Amino acid sequence: MNGFALDRLVPAHVRAFEAYVPSPPDDVLRRRFGIAHLHRLNNNENPLGPPAACREILARWDPRDAALYPQGDGWHLRRALAARFGLDAEQVILGNGANEVIAFVIKAFCEPGDNIVTADRTFAVYEWLASFSGVAPRLVPLRDDGFDDAALLRAIDARTRLLFLCNPNNPTGSWWDHARLARFLDAVDGRCIVVADEAYAEFAEDPDFPDSFALMARHPNLVVFRTFSKMWGLAGLRIGWMAAAPEVAATVRKTSISYSVNLLALEAARAAVWDVEHIAATRAHVGAARARLGALAGRLGLKMVGAIGNFAMLHLPVADTVVHRRLMARGVMARAMTSFRYPGWLRVSFGSDEAMEAFAGALEVVLAEA
Amino acid sequence: MTSEDDAPRLTLPPGVRFAAVGAEFIRGIAAATGIEARLAERMALIAEEVLAASPATAVAVTLALRDRRHAVRLDVVFASAELDLAGLDQSRDRDVEDAAGVGLYLAARLADHLTTEPAGRGGLRLGFDLARAYPARAVPAPPDGLGMPVGTPVDPDDATLALLVDWAEAKGAGGPAFRTAARVLDQRAAGDLFARVALDARRRPVGGLFWQPFGRRLMALAGPALLLPEGPARKALVEALLDSALAGLVRGTVQGLVVLEAAPGMKRADFEVVGHLPDAQGGHPVLFRALEEDPGGITWVAPELRDWVAGMVRRLALGRDIEASPPPARASGAAMAAETDRAAGRVTLRPLLAAADAAEVAEANVALFRGQGFSQMRALLDLGRPEHAGFAQGLLRAGLAPAALIPDAAGDLLLLAATA
Repeated sequence: MNGFALDRLVPAHVRAFEAYVPSPPDDVLRRRFGIAHLHRLNNNENPLGPPAACREILARWDPRDAALYPQGDGWHLRRALAARFGLDAEQVILGNGANEVIAFVIKAFCEPGDNIVTADRTFAVYEWLASFSGVAPRLVPLRDDGFDDAALLRAIDARTRLLFLCNPNNPTGSWWDHARLARFLDAVDGRCIVVADEAYAEFAEDPDFPDSFALMARHPNLVVFRTFSKMWGLAGLRIGWMAAAPEVAATVRKTSISYSVNLLALEAARAAVWDVEHIAATRAHVGAARARLGALAGRLGLKMVGAIGNFAMLHLPVADTVVHRRLMARGVMARAMTSFRYPGWLRVSFGSDEAMEAFAGALEVVLAEA
Repeated sequence: MTSEDDAPRLTLPPGVRFAAVGAEFIRGIAAATGIEARLAERMALIAEEVLAASPATAVAVTLALRDRRHAVRLDVVFASAELDLAGLDQSRDRDVEDAAGVGLYLAARLADHLTTEPAGRGGLRLGFDLARAYPARAVPAPPDGLGMPVGTPVDPDDATLALLVDWAEAKGAGGPAFRTAARVLDQRAAGDLFARVALDARRRPVGGLFWQPFGRRLMALAGPALLLPEGPARKALVEALLDSALAGLVRGTVQGLVVLEAAPGMKRADFEVVGHLPDAQGGHPVLFRALEEDPGGITWVAPELRDWVAGMVRRLALGRDIEASPPPARASGAAMAAETDRAAGRVTLRPLLAAADAAEVAEANVALFRGQGFSQMRALLDLGRPEHAGFAQGLLRAGLAPAALIPDAAGDLLLLAATA
């Protein structure tokens, strides 16, 4: 074979993109950093795990079912979610994690030369997926650590197809209330699809947090993302979902991948809908962990940011990437935030009590050595 | 300027028969694209010598000439990497009967900068750079009463960037990168320099920070050039420049920033010290700032360096599997490239081709450049590439010592240094 020139076949926007490299598995990290145990506080996982009903599903699962394909579009789960939120099942689309749902939406509405609008310091996957799809990400600076509605509106132009609003925002935990989101949708006036990514919505206890499903009835350009990875403790099974007005959902369904959500995820998620005891227990854990982290921040003289969600950020007096490594060497993995455009900040997930204690002890030592 | 993809190119069989054709192609392209005759003739000679020295095993040789504004670059791509190109190493003894070896030697001497990298499908790319000269000129001094910075630093337009460089040059601020505005503009246009500049309310530059490619995934930071007087505004300016640079660089290919010669004003707390370079004052720190989390990786070291590297890995809390490098596949033919800065009396050596005689070649290179009067010797080894480890022994024998370990999970860079 003499005619294979790879570069000729690869679009420029793919050539220009740097592949994301996930961290290696724990056994490799433990060996490389010379540690016996690693507390992961970097992925905003739920230390309580999934609700009891999910555990039961997982425990009694018949391994022989691994030979079977799942039902192709999550028939039962879509109906359970629709019933919970007053939607029609056809408005609900499932994905292999919310990341896949982001890809469905970008594929449905964007072509090369279009743009998406989002914040500069938010969940990175909107920017990445747009970039390697040939779609320009327009990044609007946060204001006071929150999405800036006026600046977002100014960034919309004739080629804007999607606007991603991470609410509550990862990593700052800032959020828009119902009235603000409604005003924003009025101002957008249907010029683009507005995606409210509510991956952390179940952590919001304030009654003013948006009822986005209700807003969808008045604003058919509103799409809502949810996930089973955070509150519901199913991150390892990879399942997320979106809801949209019927005609919008029908469009996204064209670019969605049937059969991409596995059997176990479908069944476990269905069992999770909508376990209020699990929500209460998780919120209680998060509240206590936030209070303890706040006390640690106060003792160390560190600014802390994060109102909603199972995480918070700390501002460090030294480079976050250095602290990340030095914590790793003490068996704790938090998230260095330079890559989120928050240089000098560290994001900490509210893990188990043991992990949080390990983090507190390690951070005190690391900062004392700095 | 020609981009990577649209550069004129010509593919020829290797060997002396087509050497003159290659040289004429280079002259023709240079004439058509306005490259000055002095550079065109040197490039044509390089092309001729390399083609003539190319063995039949090269299968095919492709020439591409690019005007990169501050430099002209000739890429010579061989379809096969199984070549004896040891003649490129300037330290090798020349046998006048060995025409190919002498030709490669001449080509290497003619170039200001020589690099090698793998090309697609098992090939090898040699890059020869010739730097453009810029005439000296008087630079204007900055006006009195520059204002406080307003807004976040920007990626400046050409006029603003030129003004910053002129004013920094007049004040002696920022270091060598902030000299000769025309060169800086050309470097930026070629994608070899990036800038952030802070402006006052009248849109005048009050400070700047530059970065330039350094190795595979790093950037070397230069500056800051600060035009404000000492005080809180100047401190805030330093912070804003670095934050702006970091924000512009993240989520891309760059993994970290290296500072080999920090200009006054650089805020040390934003960096970590990854070693020290010797100088007349007894040494200065090498600073590093990672942009991404370091998930650990493999570092390949020569036995002589294992303890030093292991110590640095511990001190920097790096997660590394430290491995002994396997012997190189080639028995002989190792070569190093040399980047010289005659004004500073400095030479930096990098492995070009690895072979079992790497240690002897490294030692000979140090001796060669010492003999030419260079007082500062540096060498850079990529510890992510097992074949680089073989050069370490010779560098140590020649009196270089490990100076800094610049972290990169895909391949730490080991900087060795010595002063005369």
